[in-house]
Amino acid sequence: MQNNKLENSQKIKQANGQKNRPKNLNLLTIKLPINALVSILHRATGCVLFLMLPVILLLLQWSLSSALHFETVIAILHSPFIKLMLLGLAWAFFHHFFAGIRHLAMDVHWMTTLMKARYTSKVVLVLGVIATLILAVKLWL
Amino acid sequence: MLIELLTKRYPGMRAWLTQRLSGLVMAIYCVIALIRFLVLQPNYYEAWVDFFQPWWWRLASLLFWMSLLIHAWLGMRDVFKDYVPNPNIRGVLVKLLVVVLWLYLAWATWLLLG
Repeated sequence: MQNNKLENSQKIKQANGQKNRPKNLNLLTIKLPINALVSILHRATGCVLFLMLPVILLLLQWSLSSALHFETVIAILHSPFIKLMLLGLAWAFFHHFFAGIRHLAMDVHWMTTLMKARYTSKVVLVLGVIATLILAVKLWL
Repeated sequence: MLIELLTKRYPGMRAWLTQRLSGLVMAIYCVIALIRFLVLQPNYYEAWVDFFQPWWWRLASLLFWMSLLIHAWLGMRDVFKDYVPNPNIRGVLVKLLVVVLWLYLAWATWLLLG
């Protein structure tokens, strides 16, 4: 069955020739497979975490410098809008963390077939959301 | 074998392995940090300072930040390679990245050991 499909697609390719290949890609017509979704989110969250590094260092410095500064940092982190941002950052961290663990697992040849890789992609996405939800409960209750 | 891959003879393998090892170090540190945080519950300033007081934790934190910056260097370099086709602009961005990362390392070292 799959062989047939492969042969068909090859035939179509040959029939069309190289000239008829699409010249530009409409991103909206591309449906990302779940592995690709996890992959691009791994990259995007990595960039977000990198951009937030100075903020994290600044908060660490303030919180350690004096009791007064510590209280200020706590107050800042408790404002509703910042809490929401914090939750977004936490999701970025969790997703990057779990997707990274998945990478490490695949590097030692664990869960490398397509079906298993799709399954672990789902696990990564779900774990990221669950960890974020737990933190959200902690933050708002 | 593993050590050989880290030599200059295999720059691609070295980058690949460094990215994994630094990631592993950070993952382990994060798990320990979470456990310490849940056990010690540093809810006020003195407890928070105590959290960062043990020398071994400061060293571990420094190791974490070093891993983080190496990891960020390799990751962001790949991002620039993929999305910035102009070699001149990319060169500037990569240089800027190196400067920023060294500054962060100095900052983190000063925070943790100063």
